[in-house]
Parts: sequence; C-alpha cells; structure tokens
Amino acid sequence: MRWLLSLFLLGVAACVSALSVSGSRLLVVLEDEGEREKYGVFLGDLSDRGFHTTIQSPKSDKLSLFQHGERAYDHVIILPGKSKGLGPALTANQLLDFMKKEGNVLVTLSSDHATPTAVQSLLLELDISIPSDKGALVVDHFNYDSASAAEKHDVLLLPFPKALRPDVKNYFAGEGVIAVPRAVGQTLGNESPLIEPILRAPNTAYSYNPKDEADIVEDPFATGEQLTIVSAMQAHNSARLTVVGAAEILQNGWFAEKATLSGKAVKTANREFAKKVSQWTFKETGVLKVGKLLHYLDEGVSKKLNTSLSIPEHNPTIYRIKQDVAFQVEISEYSGDHLAPFIPASSDSVQLEFSMLSPFHRLNLTPISQTANSTIFGVSFKTPDQHGIFNFRINYRRPFLTNIDEKRQVTVRHFAHDEWPRSWQISGAWVWIGGIWVTIVGWVAFVAVWLYSAPTERSVKKTQ
Amino acid sequence: MRLLHSITSSLLLSGACIVSAASSWSFEDATISVQSKGAGVSAGAGAKDKLNPSSPLAKSVSLGAADMLKLQLTTTDGKKAKRPHQAFLTLTDPATGLEESFVLSVKDSGKSKVDLTHKDLPHQFFTSSKPIAASIVISSFGSSTPYKAKVFDLEISRDPNLPLAVPEKPLRYAVEKEIHHIFREDPRSPPKIISLVFAAAVVAALPVLFGVWISLGANASHLSKALRSAPISHALFYGSILAMEGIFFLYYTSWNLFQTLPAAAIVGVVAFISGSRALSEVQERRLAGLR
Repeated sequence: MRWLLSLFLLGVAACVSALSVSGSRLLVVLEDEGEREKYGVFLGDLSDRGFHTTIQSPKSDKLSLFQHGERAYDHVIILPGKSKGLGPALTANQLLDFMKKEGNVLVTLSSDHATPTAVQSLLLELDISIPSDKGALVVDHFNYDSASAAEKHDVLLLPFPKALRPDVKNYFAGEGVIAVPRAVGQTLGNESPLIEPILRAPNTAYSYNPKDEADIVEDPFATGEQLTIVSAMQAHNSARLTVVGAAEILQNGWFAEKATLSGKAVKTANREFAKKVSQWTFKETGVLKVGKLLHYLDEGVSKKLNTSLSIPEHNPTIYRIKQDVAFQVEISEYSGDHLAPFIPASSDSVQLEFSMLSPFHRLNLTPISQTANSTIFGVSFKTPDQHGIFNFRINYRRPFLTNIDEKRQVTVRHFAHDEWPRSWQISGAWVWIGGIWVTIVGWVAFVAVWLYSAPTERSVKKTQ
Repeated sequence: MRLLHSITSSLLLSGACIVSAASSWSFEDATISVQSKGAGVSAGAGAKDKLNPSSPLAKSVSLGAADMLKLQLTTTDGKKAKRPHQAFLTLTDPATGLEESFVLSVKDSGKSKVDLTHKDLPHQFFTSSKPIAASIVISSFGSSTPYKAKVFDLEISRDPNLPLAVPEKPLRYAVEKEIHHIFREDPRSPPKIISLVFAAAVVAALPVLFGVWISLGANASHLSKALRSAPISHALFYGSILAMEGIFFLYYTSWNLFQTLPAAAIVGVVAFISGSRALSEVQERRLAGLR
C-alpha cells in the first residue's frame, strides 16, 4: 500500500498529471496502424489524462511486456486485428504474468475479427466464456438503433449500468445511451468472486452466429442478462482486466453519434462510458488506501487517531482477556487525482475481525470522523475470554474496489494471579472463610488452655 | 419501466394490427397443456388451455415433478403465419429477477412448440415463493414490431418430502455476518442467604466448643503462676504464636511470599527457643502434679 502512495506523491512532485495510481505507461496493441485514427478520440482522452501511450503491432519484434524481468508497461489495451494470433510476446501466460505483477489489461473483442487464441485462452483461464465460432454477435430486436441497423438489429442501445448490487458502488453510472455495435457476448463463470459484469445485455438479447443461424436461432450461446457485453475481473493482487465485447464502442464513430431508439432520436454517450471503463481498468477509480490503524485499551477516555505520516503507529502489543479495546482505522479512496474520504455503499460496511485462526469477533466499523482525505472508522469491543496471539484484521474485498487486507498482531494474556476478585468478595466462600477464622481462634484458645489450665477438683481426684 | 412500456406498446400494437395492416409479431392457436407421465395421454389432454397474446392466462399453470408442460403456437407476422428469428419462452422469477429462456422450435410454417419438465428448470425456481412469470418473445430482423408479453404464471409444485439438491452458494465478496464472541459464563455463587446461614453455623461452632471445654473444666488459672516462673519465655512463646497468625493474615491481605518468609522465619526461631523454655516450665508443673 505504501508504494502506492509514494508513487502518487512522486507523480504529484514531478507535476506529471498521471491520474492512475499504478503508473502511466500504456501499451496499445494495434495490428493495423491505419486503424489508429478510428480510436483517435479514445487514445487522445487517455493522453489527456496523463498516460504515455506506446502503440505497437503484435508482429513487432520490439514488443515485450517485460524488461529485465519487470513490467515494461503499467497498462495494456489489446485492440482487435486481422490475424488470428497475437505473436510470441503476448501469449496468455505472459498476459497473466503481467497481471501477476499488477499490470492492468483492457481486452477488446469484435465480431468482425476472429478472437486471437491468446485472448481466448486468457479468458478461459479467468472463467469468462465467449462463443467459440467467429462472427457470433449479440442482437436485440427491442433495443436496437434503427438508424444504423434497421435490418440487422446488431447495434444495441443500452442505458448506463446500474449498481451491481445495493451494497456495491457504481463506478459506471452516466447519462444517455451506450451504442454497442456488433458485440461478442460473454458469460461469466458462477464460481469465481473475482469476475463481475459491468454492462449486461438487455433481457431480450441473445447471441447467435449469422453464418449458421441466419433463419432462426436454435441453440443460442446465451440469452438475456446472462449475456454480458463488458465484464471485469480483479485479481487478488488488485490487478484489473476488463473485457469490452465490442471494440467499436471505443471508436470515434460511436462516441457522440445520433441514433434512433424505438422511434426516438438519442445521442450516444460512448465517450463517457469508455472513460468510465478505462478509468476503472487503469486504477483511476475504485482504489482504496489504508492509512493508520489505532487500537488502545478503552478506559473511558477516547483517543484520537493522529493521521500524520511522520508519527509511526504506536499501539500496545498486549491486552488481557475481557478488556475493553477501541479500534480505529483510516481509509481513503483515490478519486481522479486525489485521496478522498472513503464512504462505503449504503448497505455495506467495513468489518474488523479479531481473530486467532478464526475470527472471535467480526464487527461492523462505523465512520466516526473524516479528515480532508480519509474517513476514520472505529469500533469498541471486549477482548474474548481466550488467551493467545490475536490479529486485528481488516479484510475488505468488494467488487470494483481494490482489496484491503491489513493485520496487526497482539498478545492477549489471561488474568494475572492478583487480578482475580478476592475471596471475601465471593459470597460462596464465606462459609470457608468462617471455618478458617474459627480454626484460628480455636487453635489460639486451645494453646492457651493447654499451657495455663489448672487441674479441676474432679481431675485431681481421678489422678489420685 | 422500459419493460412495461415495451409490453404496453406491443400490446397496443398487437391490438391495432387487427385494424391496420402494420406488421407486428404475434402468435395464434396457442395451447398449453400439462401432461403427467403416469396418467397417460387421454388424462393429460384434459388440462389444455388456450393462450391469448393480449392478456395473460387467468389461472396459473401448475407443473409437477413428473409432468411435462407442452406449449404449442403458431407465430404470425401481421396476420400471416411466419417464421421469426427469435421465439423464446422466458421464465422470470419475480422475486429475484432471474431469467431463463427456452427456445421454441419453429417450423417454416410458423408452427412452434416447446416442452418443459422439472429437469430443464434452474434450481432457483424451485425455491421461489411466488409463481414464475412466463412470457413469450417473438421477434425477428427488419421493421416488424417485436412481441413480448407475459402469457401465464407457472406454479412449480414439487414433492416436499424429497430433498432438493441446491448447490452451495458460490462465494461473493460482500459484507459478512457479524460475529460477537460468546463469553463463558461467570462463576456463580449460591444465594447469599444460604452462605450466611452456613457461615453462621460454622461460627456458632466456636462458642459451642468453648462451652464444652469450660464444662469439662478448662481454665487459665495457672497463667499467673507460669508468668511468675518463666515470664519472658511464656510471653514470647504465646506472642510468637499470635504473631505467626498475624503474618498469615498479612500474607492473605497484602504481603507477598518474600515478605512473609523472613518474618515467619524470625518468629519461628523465637517460638522454638522460647517454646523449649516455656514447655520445660509446663513439664515442671506436670511433675509437681499441678496439671
């Protein structure tokens, strides 16, 4: 997390307006240099946001994602080309290695071009399926652009996506309609929590192959909202990959085009959508940063978290069982060009786990205060009645947000021998305490009697 | 909203197409039947219903575990039977919004059919509390208005005794259930009154003991005699016994072991030395027949 910030500070210091937290070196893989003009506005927007763009053909000898074992670029855009392969520098494995080193990838598909095998196997690896036959595309007879696709219905006009779930922030909201021309639909595997749809097809859409199924669709690849047009994957290391089903979404020709949706004239807002998608993919949005963690023995006096970076964290290393402990954490969200206070979605909350192997406590944190660029979340709780080595752990994973996993280890000891309640405070012990006192007094009296007792008349008689 | 709009507009259009010749997709001669596997053809044919493209079926259709739902219709464009590109039966769970589409097999004449059994349905539908909405989508390329409308409600009945094989929910990153540690119960004492009664009984044993001793003739009459013959050793011996008890008391309330042990050692030595003198004096009294 710290390198993120240092990179960010470095970026600010150098007055480079790179808006991504993970760097500004962008590789655009484009086979046909002549097609560059088609994506001119999109690439121009990226340069305006501070990305240093390198455009390379997949056939180029110089093309390599790595240099001296490190990433040569921070982000990659793969645009469709005519050839079926992407060459030896862009195999599925190399793209995965690139992501393992926290590089971000934006893959575009197109039904006009065959999907390269490297991209096919990359998506297969991530549990994103695409139709295997070339030319398969998404049509919808209800939401099509009747100006440009009156007959074929293959240019879909869709509203901006809504939030995926009520507890997930929406980074792709916008006004207007998105034109989706000749898209390759994807289906997402159900098992992986890492892949999420960004833009789903409408519920009457389906994917078919115009060559085989020209008359009637008999066995569609997928139908309705199970078909996604733009899908996203965020790895455990927060590297991001976005699949855009139609490369034409990013082309100048659709950025602000007049279209007709069921008789009404509308204007496409693809430029806005392309911006949102590329911003998310290249870590300009949805990036979280953890500041300091504070925990202390809660003795009725609440402490304030000092967010200054010059003062190191200074937390206790040991607590006793059944002690009241207060916890605070500082979380900021990177938004565009600065860190802002992080506010989770309405039905979501950051959680603290107090765990030894498994969590003993899992508590929702509540925002207690805000600084200029962070929210301070806090909670108080009682340490469990189990001694051992515990962790304060914040493991915050949500769709479209970078993962947070922070731990602070503490020892929880048991009661010392002089921390227990005294015996006279325990009412059940009174009988035994009484017994001891009776024994003591009886013993002292017995010694006195034994030492100083004079013989009585009776006992003298007996001995005589 | 959009859906509703499209439904109403398509309904309006389908109504309008009777008057005008504006081309729009619809269907006719639609029948739906539920056949039980065991009941034979004649019994199954009884549950036949006609579907209307402009209004959904009033009663819901029930599909049992051994049943097969058969939907037959003829797709039309305008008034003519025609084969569309898309002919789907779409089932929607109204609670979750989950959708599943089934493709109708359409002949060139527009005659289409689809069969449904429990095996075809996703497991989420079995646990749905509300009936599943079934709509028909008929549409194709070109300018004809597409058709989509709800035609009936599907009630999925299943044998409640048979366990339902619901796969485990896949992991999704979301807020997890809170865990609050359940503390072990604090040790409890019996009611105070019981402790007090028994403590009183124990304390009462002391006067009883003293009473018995006195009745047996215990006394301290030789104290003056003992002090006269060995004053220092008797005072020190009895004093050291009391001091030892005092040390134990301090250990119980405030002292630690390292304060207790030296004090106990000193008092112990005093008790040993003074005790041998004091006990010699007691022996002298015994030999003199005074005990």
